[in-house]
Amino acid sequence: MSTAAKHLSFVFACWKMNLAGAMEFRMSFWLQVVTMMVNNAVWIFFWGVYFNRFPLVNGWQMQDVMMMWAVSAAGFGFSAVLFGNAYSLANIVATGQLDTYLAQPKPVLLHVLVSRMSVSAIGDILFGLILFVLFGDLSWLGIVKFAVALCLATMIFTYFTVLTQSLAFYIGNAEGLGHQFFITFLTFATYPTDIFRGIGRMVLFTVIPAGFISYLPLGLLREMQTPFLLATVVAVTVLAVCATWSFSRGLKRYGSGNMMTVRM
Amino acid sequence: MRARDEEHKRRQDGSNGPIMAGLEAASVNERTGRSASHTPWQDGERRGVSSLAVKLAKYTAVGGITVRNHVAYIYDFLLRSLFLLVILYVFLQLWTVTFEGEGTSRIAGYRFDQIIWYLIFAEAIIMASPRLSLKVEEEVKKGDIGYQLTRPMSYLLFHYSAYMGEAAVRLVVNLAVGGALGLFVFGVPDWGFGWVGYLVMAAGAFTVNFLITMMIALCSFWIEETWGIEFVYNKLLFTVGGMMLPLETFPETLQKVCAWLPFQTVVYFPSKMAVQFDALLIGKFFVIQWIWIALLSLLLALLYRKGVKKLNVNGG
Repeated sequence: MSTAAKHLSFVFACWKMNLAGAMEFRMSFWLQVVTMMVNNAVWIFFWGVYFNRFPLVNGWQMQDVMMMWAVSAAGFGFSAVLFGNAYSLANIVATGQLDTYLAQPKPVLLHVLVSRMSVSAIGDILFGLILFVLFGDLSWLGIVKFAVALCLATMIFTYFTVLTQSLAFYIGNAEGLGHQFFITFLTFATYPTDIFRGIGRMVLFTVIPAGFISYLPLGLLREMQTPFLLATVVAVTVLAVCATWSFSRGLKRYGSGNMMTVRM
Repeated sequence: MRARDEEHKRRQDGSNGPIMAGLEAASVNERTGRSASHTPWQDGERRGVSSLAVKLAKYTAVGGITVRNHVAYIYDFLLRSLFLLVILYVFLQLWTVTFEGEGTSRIAGYRFDQIIWYLIFAEAIIMASPRLSLKVEEEVKKGDIGYQLTRPMSYLLFHYSAYMGEAAVRLVVNLAVGGALGLFVFGVPDWGFGWVGYLVMAAGAFTVNFLITMMIALCSFWIEETWGIEFVYNKLLFTVGGMMLPLETFPETLQKVCAWLPFQTVVYFPSKMAVQFDALLIGKFFVIQWIWIALLSLLLALLYRKGVKKLNVNGG
């Protein structure tokens, strides 16, 4: 078996175990899933009331905003379900829990990321899929475009989070800062890109690249805008390189916390 | 430093350590050398002051100590409330575009600056509300409630005083951060008695919020986890409470439904009174708010009485 195939098989095994672990507590599992869906539904209420009174916001219609929520929610959901530890990386580094992963013959970053699953994020995935069924284009092309949008959104969420959480290697306890970055990113990813202008809009496509997610409903789902798609692919690549480099470089600075942990 | 350590411990275990420690510490005043028996309320009792005044002093002391504990972490609150700026920036952009699209100076009776200030006040209240259910749930689960019940003060009033103290500190910080943005964008506002209206309504708003949250928290006498119910309640405040949009922007039928619910008294009433003060309307709001406070207090008292009878703490 090739190395890539071995890694893939390992990743699938981790995901399977994560899901099995989460399903052990069925009641808690469904409670978290439903709660997250209720949380997201609040924004549907907001936009429903908004579009009931103002049918258009800078060229965005209700359907576009719903698809933006579908892509953002499900994109984040897939990121937190498949690579759940990305969102706790700063804590893992600061508390010395990385030792466990360093001692094992697997790629450290990949191993850390797939070792945890956010149960509540399954609610985000379901929510995104329901929105797509209700408001999306259910043709074969529409489904393929939505799947591509989800892949791009998942990668942007994951790599951006790894990049910001890796700050823990350089500045110590970066948990709070990483969380601030994350909620800011999430907030910007769930509002129509076209309400932002000037510096705000520039920030959305550079420092906090949430614009690449929030513009997907217009730039990919409504009509294929090649320049935007190319820019998004470049952005994903740059984020991936920066996140991996930042983690690898940080790993060289990492000092063990001398902490005894057992992974169950 | 001790207050910091105690607070840190409290954050970890969700108990009211620093408040009780503070009350105990307050009873041994180092400067005057008074002993533990010289607490203000006990002094009052000796002097024959009415028992109501003594009780008031006791719970005011709880609130005061909570304020002191939280003031020690003012920079932490400031950092956390920076997210308020992000949210307000986004709403500022959204409403700019909306007003431009509508081409009118008023939407649902609000000017652009009024709607943004409304959101600043609404967000400030929501973000200032302490997470009570987690605290009470932990007390019930760990059995700490057993110690609380033996103390010479009402469990509910003790939490109410602590809740209001914490909310006051958080509200000041949120208003400072949100207000700075408002002042930067719109300059000094002219609301007349708006500030008075906001403060009067905010006191009632936090009281209603406490009563409902405490009822949810006390459900931990019967169910394992209450965070799910509190989560849904908070979402109701966001939506039908008027945090995201003033109620006037809702469809008429929904407005009529909201008028019969207590959630508007927590967010909409204070925020509306701040930006559009009306002497007649504040009277109406005040009466509605206090009718809800009376009703919810009664319900809470009943729930508490029933829950405490069910309580069974083992060990200690």
